[in-house]
Amino acid sequence: MMTPRITSSPNPGLSVTTPLLETVAVAKRYGSVVALRSANLTVGPGEIHALLGANGAGKSTLVKVLTGVIRPSEGEVRVNGETVVLRDPVDAQRRGLAPVFQDPALVPDLTVVDNLRLTGADPEAVRHWLSEMDLRAIDLTDFVRDIPLPLLRMLDLARAASREPAVLLLDEITAALPIDLADRVIEVMRRWRASNRSVLFISHRLAEVRDVCDIATVLRDGCDVDRFRTEDGGEARMVRAMLGDAAGVVRNVSRSASDKVTSSNRPDETTIAEEVLAVSDLRVGKLDGISFSARRGEVLGVAALEGQGQDLLFEVLSGGRRPSSGELRIHGVPLIARHPADAIRCGVVLVPSDRLHALLPQRSVRENLALPFFRRVRSWGPVRRRSETDAVDGAIARLSIDTRAQSQVKRLSGGNQQKVTIGRWLATGFDVLLCFDPTRGIDVGTKHQIYDLVRELAAAGKTVIFFTSELREIAQCCDRAVVIYEGKITEEIDAAEATEERLLNAAHGLVAVPPESVCP
Amino acid sequence: MTESGTRVSGMTFLGASDRGRRRGQIVQRHGWTVGVWLLFASLLAWYASRLDAFGPYERTAILTTAVAAVFVAMGQGVVILGGGIDLGLGSMVILVNCVSAKYMDGHGFVPCVLIALLVTLAAMMLGGAIGWVIHRSGVPDIIVTLATSFTLFGLALFILPSPGGGTSPSFAHLVTGSETGEVYWPAILCLVVPFAGVWLPMRRRRTVLSIYAAGSNANAAFLSGVNLRRTKIASYALGSCFAALAGLATTAVTGGGEPRFSTASAFTLNAVAAAVLGGVALTGGIGGMIGPIGAALALSLLSPILTNLQLSFTWMDSNMAEIVKGLILIVVVMIGGWARARKQKVV
Repeated sequence: MMTPRITSSPNPGLSVTTPLLETVAVAKRYGSVVALRSANLTVGPGEIHALLGANGAGKSTLVKVLTGVIRPSEGEVRVNGETVVLRDPVDAQRRGLAPVFQDPALVPDLTVVDNLRLTGADPEAVRHWLSEMDLRAIDLTDFVRDIPLPLLRMLDLARAASREPAVLLLDEITAALPIDLADRVIEVMRRWRASNRSVLFISHRLAEVRDVCDIATVLRDGCDVDRFRTEDGGEARMVRAMLGDAAGVVRNVSRSASDKVTSSNRPDETTIAEEVLAVSDLRVGKLDGISFSARRGEVLGVAALEGQGQDLLFEVLSGGRRPSSGELRIHGVPLIARHPADAIRCGVVLVPSDRLHALLPQRSVRENLALPFFRRVRSWGPVRRRSETDAVDGAIARLSIDTRAQSQVKRLSGGNQQKVTIGRWLATGFDVLLCFDPTRGIDVGTKHQIYDLVRELAAAGKTVIFFTSELREIAQCCDRAVVIYEGKITEEIDAAEATEERLLNAAHGLVAVPPESVCP
Repeated sequence: MTESGTRVSGMTFLGASDRGRRRGQIVQRHGWTVGVWLLFASLLAWYASRLDAFGPYERTAILTTAVAAVFVAMGQGVVILGGGIDLGLGSMVILVNCVSAKYMDGHGFVPCVLIALLVTLAAMMLGGAIGWVIHRSGVPDIIVTLATSFTLFGLALFILPSPGGGTSPSFAHLVTGSETGEVYWPAILCLVVPFAGVWLPMRRRRTVLSIYAAGSNANAAFLSGVNLRRTKIASYALGSCFAALAGLATTAVTGGGEPRFSTASAFTLNAVAAAVLGGVALTGGIGGMIGPIGAALALSLLSPILTNLQLSFTWMDSNMAEIVKGLILIVVVMIGGWARARKQKVV
């Protein structure tokens, strides 16, 4: 795993070789908001370097500084020991820093070839890297908008690699990748190390970081707080460094919440709670006869591989699309929604995976939280300031939203944005909460806060439908789970029995028992 | 607390590259453009059938009135592709028309061509300056160009306060063909040359790709290394270049300059309508030039058709014709919007 160079220097911080990339006390402020306080990062040649941190710790800001997207307010960036000013992304690339951003930097309305031409990348080199990654099937004459997101990330990686940069910056590249594609990304990273170049790798998947990376730098509150070899300390040290003092608190909270779950909330075998949501024989597009029901105070997990129709199911449930056939009942009353507003009126609300889709990114946290509140206003007069303020303050306190960036939601980190998305429904009330992969790209601490929040909501008598692409979350946070494969429910199991293996089998359509006999 | 969770995914999307899908894409990409040209063809056939005769003279009349409209539509198309919109394009046409008419008056062919070149260059620089102001100020395109529409028109009035000026007959023949209007191929050349000579060679170059990119997703374009300021300037300069061609064509066809604000706003509105009907998305990034050209040709037939209808329907006076024309534009743009929305749903 380790390259000789790294092993020969006992302390990576005191390595004598000139680092490929170095930041010294880099800070970035937006007005009064401090995004980055003082970040020191040293990436030596031939290492895979992990950059870790909770949401809002400043990872994204540091990456933006390193890629020339923004300029730091203070501090220095050094490439090969030489202090540089990165004026724009092109400048950063010229100096050997090639990034793959969280959102693919490919223009949707151009073909892939035109995108490459636009950036001056060599299509032959890109093709070479694609075939190295065993992705020859990608047609470079396709429009980018027609290519699925995971492949776009791979394309972006191939484009970055084709420049043969000294440092590859990979920001959350594996977050939305299926496991086999993620492996190919890791293969490319290892090659970079083998040729004595480096990779700066940002990921929330700590197991991956432990297995792949040599050295980790951890950011917390805009400062680098720890730097260590991943083999000394492993995941426990990473989490401790990322969460700081908050680590203990988070663990306590989650334990108390799960205690609550086991003692009072898990539906007893004997008492059958009221059925809130019932779906029968739903058919639309890929969905081929979906039937299930969810009770009051229950968290129903939905597990599926990518593209099995789960997105359609959530669209139908939230009123965004009408089913071709089948029925949807809320509290026994059929719901025919023409528009999400109809579903919201019946108490069915959606938390989508794309947070910026659901929020007004340029408005304040307060306004975003109060947004669905307006429908309750009965008179045409101004919104009653007092009641709005109370509800919003309640929601902020309950979610422990970081309100440093009061002014604009788009300045919040991903985890905090997700909290606002859930929080605005807290302020207004609902019966059924639909969560579509709510923890995608969110750090550990915030993930647990979201699980706790979901459990709390269930304890308060709400019904939660929780789709997740991370199978372990089913056991962590749900009471029961349905698995969808090819538009059909292949398995319906209790969370206690929902091992990752069993879920994975069902998600691949490998079930011994026919689904009909499993349904109650 | 560890994060070893398994992300799962199917890999079904890799095998999707088959021939049927490709054919579907071609239909999807070009169906709209073909439809627009079919619309033009059927309007033309209908109009021709209503006329007593449809000889070279009528063809020249239709083509020469269409040339300027087509140029402005192309210009507006470029600007909209780049994520902007230029409400001052019509005023730019009038400005170029007045300037060229004033200075070409009484000169021969060669000085007229030189003046045309100079005026086009100046218009491009003006357009570039407008693009720079938009980028620098951060004020929405629609506001800045609404202001420039007045400024540019004021400039035109300042240079040529009343209708007048002229041009060399041989310069005029570049568009009109001949004195009598029997030669219509120069007008066709006028339509083809800017498309084949300016747009097609640039289509795959970085400048135009950058315009598409900036209009499609400015952030992704920036991260790809596109210089957004330069791109904004380029799209407005290119738009103004086409507007200048339209102004020169107007000078050639009318044989003089006429500063009238209603003409300018009609040019602007028709150009936006033609670009949208021609398949250019108002959000930017999607579309081409063949569609807007066909749409501008079709829209330029509206006026003669409505005039012709006035012979059959007495209620259709010229005021009514304006109302009908406006309504048709709205309906046409709405249909375009619906068709796109449907297409996106189906996918």
